[in-house]
Amino acid sequence: MSSPAGNAGTSSDAPRPARELLFHVRDVARVYGEGEAAVTALAGVDFDLFAGELVVLLGASGSGKSTLLNQLGGLDSPTHGTLLYRGWNLAMADEAALTNFRRDGVGFVFQAYNLIPSLTARENVALITEICRDPMVPEDALHLVGLGERLDHFPAELSGGEQQRVAIARAIAKRPEVLLCDEPTGALDVHTGITVLEAIERINRELGTLAVIITHNAILADMADRVFTLSDGRIVHERRNAVRGAVGALAW
Amino acid sequence: MPLLDRKLLRDLKALKSQALAVALVMACGLAMMIMTRSLILSLVTTRDTYYEQHRFAQVFARLKRAPEAVREQLAVIPGVAAVETSIAIQVTLDVPGLIEPAVGLLNSLPERGERGLNRIYVRTGRLPLGGAARGEFVVSEAFADAHGLKPGATISAVLNGRKEAFEISGIVLSPEFVFEAPPGAALPDNKTYGVFWVPYKELATAFQLYGAFNAVALSLAPGASERDVIAAVDRVLAPYGSRGAYGRIDHPSNRRVDDEIRVLNGLAVAFPLVFLSVAAFMTNSVMSRQIALQREQIAMLKACGFSNAQIGMHYFKFSLVIVVVGVGVGAIGGILLGHQLVGMYHLFFRFPQLDFMLDRRVLVAAAVASSLAAFVGVAGAVQRAVRLPPAEAMRPEAPTNYRPAFLERFRIARWFSPSFRMALRNIQRRPVRSGITCLALAMATGILIVPNSFRDGVAYVIDFQWDIVQRQTVTLSLVEPEAARAIADFKHLPGVVHAEPFRFVPVELRAGPIKRRLMFQGLPERGTLSRAIDATPRQLTLPARGIVISAKLGEVLRVRPGDEIVARVLEGRERELTVPIVGLAEDFAGMAAYMEIHALNRLLLEGDRISGAHVVVNKAHWREFLTAVKNTPRIAGCVIKDSLREGFRKTTAESIGLIQKIYLLFATVVAFGIVYNSARISLSERSLELATLRVLGFTRGEVSAVLVGELVLLTLVALPIGLVLGSGFARGILSAVNTETVRLPLVLTAANYAFAVLVVALASTLSGLFASRKLAEIDLVSALKTRE
Repeated sequence: MSSPAGNAGTSSDAPRPARELLFHVRDVARVYGEGEAAVTALAGVDFDLFAGELVVLLGASGSGKSTLLNQLGGLDSPTHGTLLYRGWNLAMADEAALTNFRRDGVGFVFQAYNLIPSLTARENVALITEICRDPMVPEDALHLVGLGERLDHFPAELSGGEQQRVAIARAIAKRPEVLLCDEPTGALDVHTGITVLEAIERINRELGTLAVIITHNAILADMADRVFTLSDGRIVHERRNAVRGAVGALAW
Repeated sequence: MPLLDRKLLRDLKALKSQALAVALVMACGLAMMIMTRSLILSLVTTRDTYYEQHRFAQVFARLKRAPEAVREQLAVIPGVAAVETSIAIQVTLDVPGLIEPAVGLLNSLPERGERGLNRIYVRTGRLPLGGAARGEFVVSEAFADAHGLKPGATISAVLNGRKEAFEISGIVLSPEFVFEAPPGAALPDNKTYGVFWVPYKELATAFQLYGAFNAVALSLAPGASERDVIAAVDRVLAPYGSRGAYGRIDHPSNRRVDDEIRVLNGLAVAFPLVFLSVAAFMTNSVMSRQIALQREQIAMLKACGFSNAQIGMHYFKFSLVIVVVGVGVGAIGGILLGHQLVGMYHLFFRFPQLDFMLDRRVLVAAAVASSLAAFVGVAGAVQRAVRLPPAEAMRPEAPTNYRPAFLERFRIARWFSPSFRMALRNIQRRPVRSGITCLALAMATGILIVPNSFRDGVAYVIDFQWDIVQRQTVTLSLVEPEAARAIADFKHLPGVVHAEPFRFVPVELRAGPIKRRLMFQGLPERGTLSRAIDATPRQLTLPARGIVISAKLGEVLRVRPGDEIVARVLEGRERELTVPIVGLAEDFAGMAAYMEIHALNRLLLEGDRISGAHVVVNKAHWREFLTAVKNTPRIAGCVIKDSLREGFRKTTAESIGLIQKIYLLFATVVAFGIVYNSARISLSERSLELATLRVLGFTRGEVSAVLVGELVLLTLVALPIGLVLGSGFARGILSAVNTETVRLPLVLTAANYAFAVLVVALASTLSGLFASRKLAEIDLVSALKTRE
């Protein structure tokens, strides 16, 4: 099941169960540099993302998926096009507004975890819960990702999978509407990767958080509601899974 | 240019502000070192040349009166090379433009030819012609400058009761009066005290001393024992009212120059050492970071066949560039500051020519010392880097393991925020780095305490000396001691509302082997004007028996109240007495011994006599009073307390002001440099962490707080340590300048502490903010990128 890239996300059959529109993306382009040196990272992307969805952005290295994630997360602004979050124009927002957006609305999960090495698991989460409006208790967030037992360990004392789950707990403790995951399993073996993806899936299911995962690993597509494939800065393919595959069944 | 050097230049360009911060701290130390060493060279060379060329004597004595024939007895003392006899007499002067009377010390010049010793240097004009040409004298430059006097100007002097006009024939200097201050005064008072030279015959005739002398100077033959000569001179002069011979070490002017050189010697080592150590540490932290960042490059270079030595040299050159800039800036700074300070020395010391002389050897030493500091700074980091096998170096450094900080063991830790814990743990993970950063900030705080404690000490002395100890308006001294009823004459001077007599007698005090010459001051038992005050400060009552001495004199003679000392009276009928010490008085200039005036007179067996009086004058009659004093030939000296106080205040303010500025500059550079450097290194080491926080929604301000959090903590710890250190510095330097001629009390005020804290806190804050600007350049997207 697929449709031309240009129509991606415009169809009326939005995902179950919530249908609240979060991102409205139209003809978004991002060009770095000018003149002859100009590099087009995104060349006109259209889609809508809804609350509660689990979306996978697939693409090879240089396809523009990271650039797209940066636009959604308010880390970068498009050079062209419309990028609305709940009707609010992200493309025109200033630095302070984007910081606020990231602070309260977006949870990030990085491929390299990016935990603060001098803080324990609990403190890494607490660092974020201190600055946002309606956070979870850090311990609850860590329980959600199955790390209730290792609260007082420093990152250097945790395995890669555990570190990534701390990172997820840190991302969701602020109860974000959006969870953006950049190759969350990129540095992990299959078994560990599955536990991390399970944590993301569980958050998405139980909290209704829109989860966007970018990856070059096509197998992850099975766990998504929708899958967009990027190439040369465009969406070249959209796939909708009638039923999300169980994360435990994935293998690569 | 070898490509490795080109890389060096580009790396340096990228690190320019950090390299500059290190170079500037280094420059502070070097400037201090170059400045002080050069000042020492300037002073020592100038002094030695001056003394030699103008034949400054080695032994000196003052006496009542001896016939010229005695000169021969002195000349034949073994070890004496030359003898110069002269007359020296203190008189009252009437200087045009000065309402109060001034005091002049008139010295005689030989009728024919030059002085054999203590020769005069003529700045402008000429020496008096002498012979039949009367009414000419030459004046010391300090006094002439203070009054704008030129050759041709006229000054009246009261010679033995007769007022005579003298025309200034020249402005001169003498090696005897490099430091020209009234006897016993801590600082020059060039407005009201001057030194003059008059042809012998004229002076001798006026004071009925023709064919006699009352001052003698001797030079020693090579290898002669000064002690033996002094003893022999004392024997020869004893019948002539000698106050005792003394060597250069006790010569008031020479002693002040020596004291200054001694203080400079201390400063020349202590402070530069501190600054250079801080600079070495900063070099080390900058280079360690640079080398950590270039791990892969080093591995690549090694893989391509560069030797460890070549790579080590590459990084050593890096720090050598810092040294070159540091030495350059330090040398220029040291020379400029040195010139300023030489200018300041003109306030105190009068040489024919005191030029700033750059101590070239110290430039070399500075370059070597700072290269060494840089080498020590780089060596460890380079060694670590080159020891790594290339394959291992290609991999990123292992993540660092942290532990809860020591402070977190306590219950209070429950209230610590995560950012605060980060700061604590980062500090504890690098104890040496944190410790040195803290110490450097403490030093910056400490050096600020020093000049301000001088300033506060001076303010204290001014209040103490002239509000508590001396409450008279004017001190009038008689040419010769007179009967006690002369006090009535003082009381009848216009405007005088109160007068208290005093009796001054030169004595030699002896306790065991230690001897000191000074003035016995006879004062009323419980006077209201000039008083003996203890450290509390409470007035000491002068008892009928026993003496009160300066606390410093007690320290020098190693005696305490209850002990007895031997006093040898050096005026009139010579005799020795044993007196008990009954109290210690606090004073800050010279050393004194106080005694009840009648008791003193009884000891002297001279009946009731006074040397002068302290008087309080109603300012409504000020001019009349001064005119009357000028016209009273019996009065040899008139010291106006307020002009003394004002002169003291102005001179010290000027010199301390300059030192304050220098120390302020140095402290700011160190505080700014160390914080900037630490913040930049922290920023570099933790850029990924900080970028992550920004992505997670921390504002730039919040991330700055995380970045400088540990520096804020270190600064907070450093400030109190700095206050303690600074108090120690001040105590140390004050005890070095705490001499028998002049002392400053250690006064540490809250305002001084507050100022030091404020400066360092401000410099650190600005520096932290300045470094935090770099946060804007942090690439947020980099946080998302994978570390390979």
